[in-house]
Amino acid sequence: MSSKENNCSNDLGLSLGMITLRVWLGIRAIQTGVEKFAGTKSMDTAVKIDGAPNAYGLTETTTGKVYALSNYNGVPAPLMDKFSNEPLIPSWGLSLYDTILGPVLIILGLTVLLGIATRFSLFFMGLVYTSLTFGLILIKQDAGVAWLGIHMIMVVMALALAKYNKFAILKKW
Amino acid sequence: MKFELPRLSRREFLSKSTLGAGLVLGAPSILKAKEPGAPSDDIRVGFIGCGKQHEVLFNAMVNIPGLHYVAACDIMKTRSKGTAGRIYKRFGNKPNMYTSAEEMLDKEELDAVFISTPDFWHAPHTVMALEAGCHVYCEKMMSNTIEGARSMVAAMDRTGKLCQIGHQRRSNPRYLFTLNELIHKEKLCGQIININGQWNRALSSSQDIVYGKPDHLPKADILREFGFNTGADKTLTEEELRHRFLNWRFYTALSGGPISDLGAHQIDIFNWYLGAQPKSVMASGGRSYFKGREHFDNVMCIFDYDTPAGSARAFYQVLTTTSSGGGYYESFMGTEGTIEISEREAYTNIYKESGADSAKWDKAVSRGLLKKEAAGQAAGGADAIASYESAPPDKYALPGGLSKQPHTPHIENFCAAVRGEAKLTCDARHALESEAPIYWVNPAANSNQIINFTDEHLHA
Repeated sequence: MSSKENNCSNDLGLSLGMITLRVWLGIRAIQTGVEKFAGTKSMDTAVKIDGAPNAYGLTETTTGKVYALSNYNGVPAPLMDKFSNEPLIPSWGLSLYDTILGPVLIILGLTVLLGIATRFSLFFMGLVYTSLTFGLILIKQDAGVAWLGIHMIMVVMALALAKYNKFAILKKW
Repeated sequence: MKFELPRLSRREFLSKSTLGAGLVLGAPSILKAKEPGAPSDDIRVGFIGCGKQHEVLFNAMVNIPGLHYVAACDIMKTRSKGTAGRIYKRFGNKPNMYTSAEEMLDKEELDAVFISTPDFWHAPHTVMALEAGCHVYCEKMMSNTIEGARSMVAAMDRTGKLCQIGHQRRSNPRYLFTLNELIHKEKLCGQIININGQWNRALSSSQDIVYGKPDHLPKADILREFGFNTGADKTLTEEELRHRFLNWRFYTALSGGPISDLGAHQIDIFNWYLGAQPKSVMASGGRSYFKGREHFDNVMCIFDYDTPAGSARAFYQVLTTTSSGGGYYESFMGTEGTIEISEREAYTNIYKESGADSAKWDKAVSRGLLKKEAAGQAAGGADAIASYESAPPDKYALPGGLSKQPHTPHIENFCAAVRGEAKLTCDARHALESEAPIYWVNPAANSNQIINFTDEHLHA
């Protein structure tokens, strides 16, 4: 096999690796953002006794998952309480972060997935994960910090493979 | 010529129109109740007491149609302002605010008054409101004294107005269903011989209440005027009076203590479900942790009953130093099954004794009266000695729950009764019949004597 053929073969593997990373990181960010709009909807139905609705008002509640803008919670409520007590996090900053986190994750996920300014998108995604890591360090969630560390390694790997980026809408930046 | 109709207030009209009332009773088909929620069906509501329990009631009633909130009264102005703010935010009208219940009842045209003041004010406020021509929903315990509770029953009888006591489990579909269908009709428990109830509350929930903004609390002269110095053997400082204002539940002259504060709800269920009043009580209590408090912090008591099905006894404990042991529930243990019911679905369990008629229970499941959760499983293990063990009971559950807040059905029942559409599920007379034995628990514990009840103890 010639060296040219070898290079082609390596480039294909690295290109596929880059696409795989883009798909993973993109979907990960998009769905994490979308989940911030998730909530539950309960529906009460009358319990049937002898086949007919009971006369007492006993109900069975079925709950289902729904997505709505009104369900939005950028920072989950239990974590919000913890962060609000952290002196290094100003309340205005927490409020701003809570507002933008979901949309930012969705936008960055889409740009990485579709290949729009991939390098900058990956860089900003890395910054978002760093900010999340900062918060988790403050509230001593070491497992979460490690988990985000894996994300950071994947972001850096994608940046390292940026020159093999194929099927991208905007290759500049 | 100008002609003017004589001006009568609504209350005057109602009190003077007995002839009209006769006509109304004689023509039910003409004067049928209007659609719930119709404007003319509005119930004009006033609140006396705007503290924490009031908030519970208010949150439970905001979705009930046809209630028009017009007045709120509390000696702590920030509380009545808070209530007014919540009403304005939700309904867009600003209720009038008062610090005096007399003034509110005098100035306002109210149909119904909700009373959630400290226990020692329940009777005076209820009597006052009934005599002003209002229907009353008053929180339990009826009063800190049995005499106070009796005065409420007398006022209800005297005025002919409705007086619902806040034993909200009496209107809870889960409790009604369990009593009527499972215990009475299906007789799933067999003969109920033992009852066990408890409310175990953690230390963290039993601490003194402290208010972060002392400037908002009533001044000493106001607190004295409203009796928060009752029972004190010295002149109290403003700080001491404010402690009593916030923590009236700890003082013997102001409340019945944990056994009435927490136990009243559950001992009421003992009596209601058994359809009987106990014949005696023995009790023990202590200030085992909160040594400075006037009331016991832990109380245990046993009531003896004679029921149509035979004798039964009920044990009840209220512990304010631990939340272990399953929270709060009332357990009715019969020869064929046990129903452990609680206001919380999570604490509700039903068990079938291994010797009970399986066909009867299976039929109840197939009809939808019960849900089977799990077959009984022996605990096993090397330490199990076969001759000591009973066969484990199968576990069941109620077929459904309550999709509203626990107080909502009771308030709905009250409102329906005000409109003439229902009968109260816990009027003052029935409430006192059920509450009366509770007044004797602390005396029994204090005297270390069994109290055998006579009509003198229990009559309404």
